[in-house]
Amino acid sequence: MAIGPTNEEARSTVTETPTVVSPAWLETHCETVTVVDVRDRREYEDLGHVPDAVNVPADRFRDPSSVAAGKLPDPDAFADLLGERGIDSGDSLVAVGDENGVLAARFLLTASVYGHEGELYLLDGGLEAWREEHELTTQAPALEPTSYEAELRDDAPIVDRQAVEAAAEGDAVVVDTRTPAEYDQSHIPGAVQLGWEALLDDAGRLKPDDELEDLLTERGISRDERIVLYCNTARRLSHTYVVLRSLGYGDVRFYEGSLTDWLRANSPDWDPIQLYENVREVASNGFEALPRELGEDVFGRLHLIGLYTQRQEGYFMLRTKVPGGILTAEQARAFGEIAEEFATAPEEHGGSEQNPVHGDGFLDVTTRQGLQLHWIRIEDMPEIWDRYDEVGLTTIQASGNTLRNVVACPAAGLGDETIDVRPIAERVADRFEGDRELANLPRKLKVSVAGCHENCGRAEIQDLGFTPAIKGGRDGFAVKVGGGLSDGPRAATDLGIFVEPNQVADLSEAAAKLFIDHGSYLDTAVNRLRFIVAEYGVDAFRDELERYAPFAFEPYDEAFTTDYRGDHVGVHEQDDGTSYVGVNIPTGRIGGDEFAELAALAEEYGSGQLRLTPNQNVVLTGVPDASLEALQDEPLLSTYSPDPGPFSRGIVTCTGREFCKYGVVETKGRGYRWAKGLDEWAEETGLADALETVRVHMSGCSASCAQPQIADVGLRGEVYRDDYESTRAADVGLGGDLENDAFVDWLVGSVPIDGIPSVIERTVRAYEIDREDGESFADWTRRMPDTELRRLVAEGPEPNRPVVGTEVS
Amino acid sequence: MSKSNQPRIPETKGVGGDPRERLEDVADPPGKIWFRDLDEAVIEADRCIQCASCVAACPSDSIGIDEAEGRPTLVRMCTGCSRCWDFCPRSGLRYERVLEFAAEERALEEPAIYAAKASDDAAAAGQDGGVVTALLAELVEAGELDGAVVARERDDDPLRGEAFLATSRTELLEAGGSIYNQTMGLGQVDDLLADADLETDDPDLALVGTPCTIQGVTALDRYDNPAADPIALTVALMCTRSFEHGRLVSRLAEFDVDPEAVDGLDVSGGTLYAYDADGGELLAEDVDAFGAAGLRGCDECTDFVGGAADVSAGSVGTADGETTIVVRTETGARAWDAAAAALEATAVERPETLEKLSAWNRRRAESILPREFDPEGEVGITYEQHLEAYDGTDREPEPLNPARVHQYEEWC
Ligand SMILES: Cc1cc2nc3c(=O)[nH]c(=O)nc-3n(C[C@H](O)[C@H](O)[C@H](O)COP(=O)(O)OP(=O)(O)OC[C@H]3O[C@@H](n4cnc5c(N)ncnc54)[C@H](O)[C@@H]3O)c2cc1C
Ligand code: HEM
Ligand code: SF4
Ligand code: SF4
Ligand code: SF4
Repeated sequence: MAIGPTNEEARSTVTETPTVVSPAWLETHCETVTVVDVRDRREYEDLGHVPDAVNVPADRFRDPSSVAAGKLPDPDAFADLLGERGIDSGDSLVAVGDENGVLAARFLLTASVYGHEGELYLLDGGLEAWREEHELTTQAPALEPTSYEAELRDDAPIVDRQAVEAAAEGDAVVVDTRTPAEYDQSHIPGAVQLGWEALLDDAGRLKPDDELEDLLTERGISRDERIVLYCNTARRLSHTYVVLRSLGYGDVRFYEGSLTDWLRANSPDWDPIQLYENVREVASNGFEALPRELGEDVFGRLHLIGLYTQRQEGYFMLRTKVPGGILTAEQARAFGEIAEEFATAPEEHGGSEQNPVHGDGFLDVTTRQGLQLHWIRIEDMPEIWDRYDEVGLTTIQASGNTLRNVVACPAAGLGDETIDVRPIAERVADRFEGDRELANLPRKLKVSVAGCHENCGRAEIQDLGFTPAIKGGRDGFAVKVGGGLSDGPRAATDLGIFVEPNQVADLSEAAAKLFIDHGSYLDTAVNRLRFIVAEYGVDAFRDELERYAPFAFEPYDEAFTTDYRGDHVGVHEQDDGTSYVGVNIPTGRIGGDEFAELAALAEEYGSGQLRLTPNQNVVLTGVPDASLEALQDEPLLSTYSPDPGPFSRGIVTCTGREFCKYGVVETKGRGYRWAKGLDEWAEETGLADALETVRVHMSGCSASCAQPQIADVGLRGEVYRDDYESTRAADVGLGGDLENDAFVDWLVGSVPIDGIPSVIERTVRAYEIDREDGESFADWTRRMPDTELRRLVAEGPEPNRPVVGTEVS
Repeated sequence: MSKSNQPRIPETKGVGGDPRERLEDVADPPGKIWFRDLDEAVIEADRCIQCASCVAACPSDSIGIDEAEGRPTLVRMCTGCSRCWDFCPRSGLRYERVLEFAAEERALEEPAIYAAKASDDAAAAGQDGGVVTALLAELVEAGELDGAVVARERDDDPLRGEAFLATSRTELLEAGGSIYNQTMGLGQVDDLLADADLETDDPDLALVGTPCTIQGVTALDRYDNPAADPIALTVALMCTRSFEHGRLVSRLAEFDVDPEAVDGLDVSGGTLYAYDADGGELLAEDVDAFGAAGLRGCDECTDFVGGAADVSAGSVGTADGETTIVVRTETGARAWDAAAAALEATAVERPETLEKLSAWNRRRAESILPREFDPEGEVGITYEQHLEAYDGTDREPEPLNPARVHQYEEWC
């Protein structure tokens, strides 16, 4: 079907109504219309196009990474694009493409919602139909740029997730424009299926009107209904949109969010509690059975309950959530025993000697105050969960696209603070736990709460960081948003608002809901709250957030973060007269039996509580003066010391290549050996007394799991290659410093890994010689010119390189 | 906002158009490479020759193959390790140096050159003399190889090839003949092996491909990259250009050739032929008329003969029904001898046509290649060196286009 001009004129009062026209119509009207060819530039130029057609390639007007609604491009970019092509808003446009016109239709829809004033036509059958009768040309048309303006029309028929939910409950016909197979796999409940290609005949032309009407009526799609279209990536629905409008359907709207998101928030498969129960049920059938019984995509979903596949096929890493890093001795003991018993490597992977430093049965304390185990077999999970239940630990939402472990000051409740944040961290975690919608955000959400004045929550690198503030004499929090480390690190910005302690969970939920609505549209690679903050600007973001929050925003009077505390190692006084003792766990790795022993020490000498710190250390609280000495004399504390060497104290590493599928270099064993070696060097050279801590953070790849950006010396795994050899290496950055909101400068890339300790030695020695009184390492690096630092890092004695191609980790 | 929270002068290499760039509080070290850089310099710049070296090189399997466009795309997080760039013959890998290394480190004193044909049913199955098919079939049957990564036509799309792991004579016969689009077999070795259920978990395979693919795998092997471990023999198909399937089909349609009716294509002596199932000629047209359907990146390729391969095969310079063969390495010679029974071969002294075509191809490529052609240069080309040579040319990096970014789901 292709209606001619008479039909069209009859309807021309509604100018934005797109109309389908035939090649013959185009031929007679080619003088008065502008043909827009949406294919790739290369195809347009080299293979030829309709004479005088202008090229507006589809990949220039579909933009999943802008915060413009849906997959629409930024309006200014669209205006520039059309302006460059000499298009005026009043021009009649005929869109032409291949792929049966789906992208041509997308163009028309875009022009329509951005207020194009001229007529809009879709060429039936696309370029192929034109070619049957006509020649193409490779001659470029003469273009005279215009100043096109585009603005989203107020009545643009775009609907959001809530409207789809409402529509699904019956206030409109929801139409799934994908294939029947896709529909069968999953669809929005209540949606009818009408694949866009069903509207076309074998030659790719629109079917006759009466056939189309039959197809539509059969599905209950009628002119007096509101119609809501969706597909997966907002392409196919565009075609159906144009056809329905062309047929005179008045109220047609479309949903551009990703169906994937929508389904996740609504499907039982993505419900963490349901998933947990399902896994419990099938766990005894083993690893291989998981995809068979729970679906091919199960491994991605398992993150929601803390399970990650590790590098070695068939085994899992298990993350455990510890809000605020607070553990009772009972929990710590149970966890240590689980590590010893279940986190064990099979013989073929080295068994009890799998790790040269830590042997077997160990656990990792993470930078978000969580816990991680390796070598977990799915068959053991029910038993592990049973034991968790007994002591009140959980893996529900320990990871996945949801709230991550809530970070809190490790000394919360021990004194010297505005607010004890322990219950708040719990409450935030509880708010998200088990909530299907909040368990499925567009990406992860990181929250920290600190009641102290030393920014122990590292608010700058969180999506949402709460730090103490007052308002009219009341204690509460200031809020920083939009920080983060990976893909374009950004320090969070202060929103300037005051939040009562009992509003912290509300505000976190509000931010999550905002993220769902605005982030669902975004390109997954840039999908973090901070990109939304950056796009909107802080003020607009604050206004938007206020719409989601159940309370009105007011500014704080004063915020209290005064200085920045690096770690909690050592003996520190508490308000109640006892002390807390921070013991150093270099790289955060400790044997399960040793962890259980620490729990026993916490009971014997302290209050029976342990805290995990973001520096991968452990704090024992409430140790009375009388017991301090005895505690420090415990043999275990000579291994995990409250008074370690400066490098052991400062080392932080991620999981690394040993278990992580992304890792380029091994980190834990290496980090441990380096720290010990460098401590010895510092001892020998007399630097040990002068240096309290040197914070070396090493990530196995360029992801930020070890937070290298905030370290004195940041390292991230790389490779090095020259003409004859290839070896593991690291990027070296210096001078990260949260106190000054500074991230490291990545100075030198791909330094062969074995040369790194000497790089560290050179740099630290230069600092020691050169530093001014009280100057921190980070300050010193900022004072030194980059060229100088680069020389220091890069131009040491030639490191020993392994021979060609030893792919040692 | 504190001082350092304001954007610093960005030192990022990106060429714009990506929201990520607006947030760079931290500059990368000089020389840092992400997939993004490869994407902009090669793929978006329309220079990718679909050799799949990058796919094979990536240690975290972050690069997949875009089904619709048949080109590399990120399918999970990139860790910024630069391997893809390092092994891409259109960016970080100075392929002419790889060819030099191959000549220095692996080649026989003198290559052996033959005009050959299969003495069995492979002759009919093959494109020219069926030599490649016969050679591989012999080696597989003798247990010298566990299989060969070759190409066959897809069932659902006329003339479009796909990578195929042939593990028997029958399968090799089925895959005989040339496929004129790239199939990215090098990037699929692991997947093909996983599906194949071979008895051994340390297989020896042949890899057949265009010269660029062989450059990639040879370089990977030279640095002991595990991606090259299963490849025990490399066979290059001599090549002046490969085609983009969709454009090739459109172009055929312009000459009123129905792609469904085409059984085979051949490029020979500068002419592109299309044949139907009975061997009838549907089209004979100057191959330059198909220039628009070619991969633009092929213009930068001087390596017509596949100088990195153990064995190269082409039609140039031999009679119809024969294949021109160059045996270049010890490995190649052993394979050739082992398969002798299935081949009829005459040694060729001075393969003049081959040399002429090869020299012409090289001159043309050198005139187009924006960077210096330097067989003695360092094997690695840094991003900065690349930019220096390519910026301002019509092959310069194109900004990343978010609309083309594959929406991947794998995160920590
Ligand atoms: C893109 C391309 C361009 C070519 N251009 C020329 C040229 O200009 N001049 C010239 O002399 N020769 C050219 N050839 C080589 C020629 O077409 C024959 O492949 C060669 O002569 C071998 O013939 P044969 O009969 O011995 O091989 P066959 O017995 O037909 O065996 C060929 C083997 O290669 C596999 N194969 C085919 N195509 C591909 C592919 N694209 N990727 C991976 N594997 C593949 C097949 O599956 C088969 O196993 C080209 C080949 C290709 C693929
Ligand atoms: C399978 C491989 C990976 C492993 C084993 C791993 C491990 C970890 C661990 C143990 C942490 C500590 C935080 C916690 O307890 O939640 C962490 C944090 C982090 N990871 Fe990963 N990770 C992996 C992949 C990734 C990827 C793909 C990215 C980037 C997209 C990434 C980015 C980060 C970032 C930014 C942090 C932040 C630290 C913080 O804010 O505290 N990781 N990772
Ligand atoms: S991880 Fe390395 S090889 Fe893979 S895409 Fe990124 S830079 Fe390239
Ligand atoms: S040319 Fe080869 S290595 Fe380079 S991007 Fe393309 S497929 Fe990857
Ligand atoms: S001409 Fe060169 S670059 Fe192109 S496919 Fe052939 S070998 Fe590869």
